[in-house]
Amino acid sequence: MNSVQTDVQIAVCGSAGDGTIAVGDILKRAMARAGYRVIAFDEYPAEIRGFGKCIARTRITTGQVYSMKPKTDVLVALNDGHAIPHVSEVRDFGAVIYDSAPIAAVQEGWHVSGHLRPGHLPYGLPMREISEQSTSANRSRNIVALGFVAGLYRLPRQAFIEAITEKFRTKAEEVTKTNVAAFNAGYERGGETYRFDKLEFGPPARRARSSLSTMMTGNHAIVRGCLEAGIETFFGYPITPATSIMERLAVEMPKHGARLLQTEDEIAAISATIGAGFAGARSATATSGPGFALMTEMMGLGVMAEVPAVIFVSQRGGPSTGMPTKTEQSDLNIAVFGGHGDAKRIVLAPTNVEGCWRCAGRAFEMAEAYQVPVVVLVDLYLSNRYETVVFPDTPPFLPKSWKPMHRDRQADLPYRRFELTTDGVSPRAVPGDVGGVHTATGLEHNEFGRPNDLSDMHLQMTEKRHGKLNAALKHPGITVCKRFGDTGKVDVGVLTWGSTFGEALEATILAREDGIRCAAMKVVMLSPLPVRPILRFLNDCKVVVVPELNYEGQFANLISGALGRPVKRFNRVTGKPIDVIQLLQAIRGAAGKRKWRKSAA
Amino acid sequence: MSIEHPVYLEDKLEQIRTSGRLHYRSKSLPTWCPGCGYYSMTEGVTWALNEIGTANEDVVVVSGIGCASRFPFFMETYGFHTLHGRTLPVATGIKLANENLTVIVVGGDGDGFAIGGGHIPHVARRNVDITYLLFDNGIYGLTKGQVSPTSALGFKTPTSPFQNQDEPLNPLAMLLAYGSSWVGQAYAGRPDHLAEMIRGAIKHRGFSYLHILSPCVTFDKTDRTYRRLDLEVRDLPDNHDSRDRLAAMSEASTTDRPALGVFYNEQRRTLGDALDAVVEKAGGVPRRLAVRQ
Repeated sequence: MNSVQTDVQIAVCGSAGDGTIAVGDILKRAMARAGYRVIAFDEYPAEIRGFGKCIARTRITTGQVYSMKPKTDVLVALNDGHAIPHVSEVRDFGAVIYDSAPIAAVQEGWHVSGHLRPGHLPYGLPMREISEQSTSANRSRNIVALGFVAGLYRLPRQAFIEAITEKFRTKAEEVTKTNVAAFNAGYERGGETYRFDKLEFGPPARRARSSLSTMMTGNHAIVRGCLEAGIETFFGYPITPATSIMERLAVEMPKHGARLLQTEDEIAAISATIGAGFAGARSATATSGPGFALMTEMMGLGVMAEVPAVIFVSQRGGPSTGMPTKTEQSDLNIAVFGGHGDAKRIVLAPTNVEGCWRCAGRAFEMAEAYQVPVVVLVDLYLSNRYETVVFPDTPPFLPKSWKPMHRDRQADLPYRRFELTTDGVSPRAVPGDVGGVHTATGLEHNEFGRPNDLSDMHLQMTEKRHGKLNAALKHPGITVCKRFGDTGKVDVGVLTWGSTFGEALEATILAREDGIRCAAMKVVMLSPLPVRPILRFLNDCKVVVVPELNYEGQFANLISGALGRPVKRFNRVTGKPIDVIQLLQAIRGAAGKRKWRKSAA
Repeated sequence: MSIEHPVYLEDKLEQIRTSGRLHYRSKSLPTWCPGCGYYSMTEGVTWALNEIGTANEDVVVVSGIGCASRFPFFMETYGFHTLHGRTLPVATGIKLANENLTVIVVGGDGDGFAIGGGHIPHVARRNVDITYLLFDNGIYGLTKGQVSPTSALGFKTPTSPFQNQDEPLNPLAMLLAYGSSWVGQAYAGRPDHLAEMIRGAIKHRGFSYLHILSPCVTFDKTDRTYRRLDLEVRDLPDNHDSRDRLAAMSEASTTDRPALGVFYNEQRRTLGDALDAVVEKAGGVPRRLAVRQ
């Protein structure tokens, strides 16, 4: 029994207002509490009210996984109409749990049980009835369904009750009691139901270690990184899906004596961030596409005036207002190239929740070390998805420090804020430093910071601003790119960035099971680009597939442009994470049909 | 203002050298046109800083784009020459990062009220402890004389060849309505008074807005000239109560006879104070405490 490796994905689908997201939240927290590893991602509409579709997917595992599963094992339908299109994502011999006694008669063809395919295992559950019996109200259908799942698969009941209590901690005691009663009623029913699927939950792996692990979203990991790096000021303006960064920082920063301000717009947010950076603070802002578009001019000033700042950008569907609650990777271009002029900046794109934390913390170090704005580029999928992460006890991030102004400088020589040095990084003084008086400017300037537009000066300064960033590729404590899968020469290489890496790696693993020699590479630093290791990887691959959540292939363009190599594009603009099976098919196609069939057979 | 006795250059230079003001001036020569009101402002700022005795390294001058944008280069203090219209939020960031700094923002009517107009209400209502010296000449000087938000109706410029059709703004009334805690007006043609006003504005704890009237001697030969402003400006009445916002509003509305002096002055908590209170509420210890003479 102990050898059972757990890998189960449960999807709860309902209408906004059914408590779908809440149930998903309790499920993942309970399972994380019980010591399992969890990856979870919710989809919900952009409207607060109404009857939009909500899906909460939770993948519960004992081993390391990298993305959501392509197929769901258990689908819980709180709303038949919304759940019907998702029946097809249930695997063969997977379970579908639905309300067998809904509140109103369901129109013909609109009951989920009528859409099951042969091999799907239905569990009709009178959710409303059980809710009414146990709580004398029909509001707890969702918790009854959750209880049923827990009971059916003999999941640890105490962990769920703790998670429910925690969830309703701020509400009246009665609320917790009602929900626990509904959960227990569902659990009893699940326990006594005959189970005809073969789904098994093995015991969680290594319990001792799990006590240190934390389950959190990418955005909250960013917050943790900011706090551990000693963030001093934050300026922001609400925008989905970045808002939860500011909301959490607003609670946490004052506890550490730091200051947060909600500004009048994104332009003010980045302006104040640059202002605080100029004054020597560790400063950041967070935004999404439309807000980031407004920030690019000020980011250019940060590059020109060599001011450290950190900008968190969580991508969503675009252009314009686009799809605020759907994920996309279409802001690579603006992150790397956005704004006017030769404004080279550092762009980091973490690939998982742990990476969000690491990139956030290191971004502050890098901004100071190279005196430049650093963009940390995530997307809605990564911002909102939950993962269990093990953090080190002591944060690895370096305290505030930069190349200081020379102390032994002759007093009669004016300070050269933009001194041309071998590494391009100039000794820095901030307001308040005696002897460091200077003016930073958006005008092209000489070493003293005085306006100067002579040809030689512009060339030297442009080279300085570009050249100083090359050292960032070797910045300690961060992996700028990494290869996974088969070593040496391979048939197919999957080159990825950002949240897509998880799906890409899962597809690579499946392709290798098919017998395809396959490797994946994640590129975390998009600017400056780690050209050499990418080139080495490209040389090792017969075909390179670049999966991305955008239309034209912005990363593929970056790679082809910088390295002059053709790549095979795999683009999706569905507003959803990449489908692992579709990507696997693309890998098979790239490997050549005969090759994978022969080796698989 | 007529000159009653001759002033010799040597005497004047001697006077300036011994005044201590040059301590705050960099070695860069100003690039403004002869006769420009910015010279009066530079004089005023250096005099006021010298009077207050602020250390050079504790001053940050923030400018945007326009004729004022070069001002930081002429000062021997920290300076940040930023983007068009974004001086106030940049200054907010600087002040919040280090409350020990004296932050002075300089800008013109275009930078402040056209492209940057959206930031003024918020910096005023939050009472960020910075000084905003707005230099109003009713014209875009650096781009060679286009119409601005404070240009008079009917003013003819290259971009309003058939005369300006837009009602000019009333900046003082605007700032009073936005909740600015210190509002004053000065005139570049009265440099001594201007200097006194700058000192008052810098010393004020909270957001201080000083509106400085000045001609553009190069691109406006007809409308807002020294000759005309000399005749129009008046002092605020002796009995004006600068704690009375309504009285200030009433004085601000007589735009044909602009009054000089402190329109409004109130002491209330600054944004820094408020954020320190938030930190205390959350159980933290403020990292930086506002210290100001």
